Amino acid sequence: MMDQQPSVSHKTDSWLAPRVSRRSNRAIGVAGVSVFVLLLILAAFPGQIAPYDPSERVGQPMERPSDHFWLGTNDIGQDLFSELIWSTRASLLTGLTVAALAAGLGTLAGLIGGYRSGLSGALLFRLADLSLALPFLPLVILLSAYLGPSRATVILVLTLASWAGPARLVRSRVLTILSEPYIEAAHAIGCDARRILWRHIWPGVRAIAAVQFVLVANSSILAEASLSFLGLGDPSAKSWGTMLYFARASGAFIGRSWQWWVVPSGLMITLTVLSLALISYALEQRMEPTLKMRTSTR
Amino acid sequence: MRKSLWRRLAEYGITLFLAISLNFFLPHAMPGDPLALLAGEAVHQMGAERIAELMHTYGLDRPLSEQYLLYLGRLVRGDLGQSYRYSGGQPVLSVLLNRLGWTTLLVAVSLSLATVAGSLLGAWAAWRHGQASDLGLVSALFALRAMPSFWLAMIAIPLLAVRWRLFPSGDSYTIPRLNGFDNLMDILYHAILPIIVLTLSQLPSAFAVMRSSMLGALNAGFVTVARAKGLRERAVLYRHAMRAALLPAVTAFALDFGQMLGGVTLIETVFNYRGLGNMMFEAVKARDYPLLQGGFLFLTLGVLAMNLLADWLYPRLDPRLRERQ
Repeated sequence: MMDQQPSVSHKTDSWLAPRVSRRSNRAIGVAGVSVFVLLLILAAFPGQIAPYDPSERVGQPMERPSDHFWLGTNDIGQDLFSELIWSTRASLLTGLTVAALAAGLGTLAGLIGGYRSGLSGALLFRLADLSLALPFLPLVILLSAYLGPSRATVILVLTLASWAGPARLVRSRVLTILSEPYIEAAHAIGCDARRILWRHIWPGVRAIAAVQFVLVANSSILAEASLSFLGLGDPSAKSWGTMLYFARASGAFIGRSWQWWVVPSGLMITLTVLSLALISYALEQRMEPTLKMRTSTR
Repeated sequence: MRKSLWRRLAEYGITLFLAISLNFFLPHAMPGDPLALLAGEAVHQMGAERIAELMHTYGLDRPLSEQYLLYLGRLVRGDLGQSYRYSGGQPVLSVLLNRLGWTTLLVAVSLSLATVAGSLLGAWAAWRHGQASDLGLVSALFALRAMPSFWLAMIAIPLLAVRWRLFPSGDSYTIPRLNGFDNLMDILYHAILPIIVLTLSQLPSAFAVMRSSMLGALNAGFVTVARAKGLRERAVLYRHAMRAALLPAVTAFALDFGQMLGGVTLIETVFNYRGLGNMMFEAVKARDYPLLQGGFLFLTLGVLAMNLLADWLYPRLDPRLRERQ
């Protein structure tokens, strides 16, 4: 319902609009991808990079940064630097899983809903559309509070709250494509529904799905951090949001330790979100010709 | 225009209905005892008679459809159930109304500040499009947007409140409370830091909307005319281009309101501020479901009201749309 006014096409990541040159767009994309690959390496091999096991008490509580503990220790003597590295895994895993599920299911729903535009389907879509106006974080908090804190809850709830956006964009794109003459031609030469969907419609939808994947990953990583910070995440998994939760719960951040406890975990979140924002921006610019029609359709 | 406003109203009504239905069906769809979700865990210690009585009070002994109608009926009368976090079971509505003012204060002030500052910066950046100052502003605000707002708050407190002692580190007022003018100043003093953080977190979106809207306006014919008339560049920028660019910026920003309520939830929590957002957090901790549902309903109402305001405002701000009526 939001894009009924022309102004709200900025909802997506066309942040530096109107556009940048091809070369700087490539630089933006490369920068985003490199940072994200680094983060993926941290997530894949935390054991090789982190000096300690983050669940072991390896020092005194609340130690200051030293040669042994680069970022000091937390309130029960665990190494904060190791915790920071290990947290990459849970933070990225949650975000990417939600992105895959929400963008995947949303795209599928959009494809089917756009292609078979029955009355009940249209009604369902209208409902999903209207549900987009519900405030995202309060909705997610409400759902997670009922389901109880766990990794599965976070993934389920964020997926439920994120699939409608991609679905709507894909559906409106499918509807545009369906009015193209080449679809009529495909029908005329006797293509079946599956062939039309995969050979003729999917290529026009791919770009949107890719951008939506990155955007959902971005918002879910931020939302996971927020939920964990509120104590609604998986309490046993180390993630950046959980680190901030414990920094606040132990009251430690009021003292000096905010510099090596609070700042690094938030910087990691910022870095991740930033790299994904750069990637989605570059993707969107690159695919501009295919995406441009999106805003003009309703 | 008029017709579409009615249509919007109907759409928002449906959204509200979705939120209300979600609130009703959640306790019933979840595993576990719906009575425990409605009346608190204490029911497990009660005798069978008392449980039956409570079941009857909450209408849990009736079919689901009937319960739903009863629920809607109670809602219309302003009965949102009893909070069980507060001993004695304070009505949820009165808790919410207590909290609403604090959140409104934070949101209204920071929304206005962010809109004004973000729009001015955005307009200026658009005017300097492609130059170093534009790129600098864009990069800075792009980075700011990637920062979690609660993290900014967690840095602001130890730095500005604890180390430099510029502001109080939390709560909405001093206890014991002051009187009269002192009380007002005290409230302001406590609100400043949360407002700063909230404004910072909203600044990027106001900036982005204004900048791209302004870039469009600067290419428009009337700006060329204004320049050709020999007007000073500043007059062209602020009196002509910005006036046209402001319209989409204002309404688009009002529509971002839902996102802001997420931010306010987190920031109130960090500051222990006595608003709706912090109440949501406390309700989560205490597993106080009626309170949580009430908070969600109020925040949804807030978003819908802002959307409606934007829809209503848009044709009134834009003379081109007014004439068409």
